[in-house]
Amino acid sequence: MSPFHFDGLVWHWPIAIYLFLAGMSAGAIFFAILLKYFCLKQHAHHSSFVIAACIIAPLTIWAGLGILVIDLTKPLDFWKILVFYNPLSVMSLGVMVLLVFQLFMFAWIAIVFAVPLSAWLSTRLPLAERLLQQLTRYEAGITGLTMILSLALGAYTGFLLSALPGYPLLNNPVLPLLFLISGLSSGAAGALLLGVLLKGQADSREVKFIHKIEIPLILTELVMLFTFFAGLVLSGGQRQVAAWNALGPGFWGWVFWGGIIGLGLSLPLAMNLFMTASAQRRFSYVAATASMSLLGVLLLRHFILYTGQMTSL
Amino acid sequence: MDKSKRLFLQGAGAILAGISLYQTRLATAREPQASKVKYALLHDETLCIGCDACTLACREANQVPADVTRLTMVRSGPFGEYPNRRYHFSRQSCQQCENAPCVTVCPTGAAYIDAQTGIVKVDDWKCVGCQYCIAACPYKVRFIHPVTRAADKCDFCADSRLQHGQQPACVSACPTKALIFGDISNQLAPITRLIKHNAVDRDKVSLGTRPKLFKIRAPSGEVIL
Repeated sequence: MSPFHFDGLVWHWPIAIYLFLAGMSAGAIFFAILLKYFCLKQHAHHSSFVIAACIIAPLTIWAGLGILVIDLTKPLDFWKILVFYNPLSVMSLGVMVLLVFQLFMFAWIAIVFAVPLSAWLSTRLPLAERLLQQLTRYEAGITGLTMILSLALGAYTGFLLSALPGYPLLNNPVLPLLFLISGLSSGAAGALLLGVLLKGQADSREVKFIHKIEIPLILTELVMLFTFFAGLVLSGGQRQVAAWNALGPGFWGWVFWGGIIGLGLSLPLAMNLFMTASAQRRFSYVAATASMSLLGVLLLRHFILYTGQMTSL
Repeated sequence: MDKSKRLFLQGAGAILAGISLYQTRLATAREPQASKVKYALLHDETLCIGCDACTLACREANQVPADVTRLTMVRSGPFGEYPNRRYHFSRQSCQQCENAPCVTVCPTGAAYIDAQTGIVKVDDWKCVGCQYCIAACPYKVRFIHPVTRAADKCDFCADSRLQHGQQPACVSACPTKALIFGDISNQLAPITRLIKHNAVDRDKVSLGTRPKLFKIRAPSGEVIL
């Protein structure tokens, strides 16, 4: 059986990349909010890492949506998804979350950069500046809703797959939580990588703050993966078959043990612990750790999507 | 000048009134009625000889292109020793679930259950081709139609034959009368009596999909482990 072509395969790699990008967008905004309110306060708009997260979030969500539209059999009819809704469909609910998320994401980004933005707008577009002033009055509410929407978006990528009753591996209640956690860590990794590339200090308090959250996040992800597969094995029947098909020897087994557990989770965990213990963080360490995390999350999305469709009930 | 303007307004008004009347008529036509029909199909596997007449008739009646199909007869065997050697034939097509996963997951409502007949149908125009329904169907009977680019599957020939008062093409084509089609909400219908008086089976009932493709199993003549 070829790892990328087999009977019963409906959704291909573009969907995995879309799930990766949507999760990363949610995670980037989530960490930008944490950085602003728990670490940087009023100085957030100076930070390369906040800037990086605010660049990543819209770009990844647009790239993801673009891939999704191109992957339709009728790409030009995509507007029908925006016009017709089915409240029982996870995909339909996800479209609503995506639209509202983008709205609040831009509102929140505008608030973070309110000081430089209003200085720029005051002479050029005074009306837009007044609008921005109005927006900043609702900062608390917008921040809270953006946070909730980013968590909803991260979990949605998992619910999308877990709503398929015919695939025992995907039809798993742990999947949305697993995708949420890994999506958040990919957002953190993306912000770190682009942040240091934008000349952010590798030894800054932002990096220390993100690493402090990333360590428990990776540990939680390992626990989630264990629960995910232990649950399948203990359920018996086709669920057990699906778990062993995914984890056993073969292409996807290598991807899981070597790529996801090894490169994507264990290595970043070890390097984060090492960097926390050692005196100074270096550019190369931060960049390499973040790259490994991103690779791990990208592999996880492919692994779950493909192995999930390998075994049906 | 003035007269043509008035004529235009009158004409536009008449067209609008006509359209809105037509829309309300369509809307009332879609509403569920008290005497709800529940169409179902029974495949008597003990009578099936695996001739594939049903598959060909389906293709012709619904103009299904060659590289896809709405209906597959799955052959297994041979079982038993000569002279009791036999094959087993099982029908694979839309099960017309009452609780259909494809309808639940469809983001635009292109997959829907027709309130008049209980048939799971596809609105080609509303379908955007996200393939969520194909992934959600536990029976793996949906496909993308190469011409319409929309999801497609068996609809008991709803548009091609039922609305002209004919039975589904597969049922009419079957030489051994192994397929019985009818309304299971009607207690006197032949299909209802057959389902009541035989040990009928349905695929993957444990998923809670409530399929309406019933099967009378043939003895396989061999233990498969």
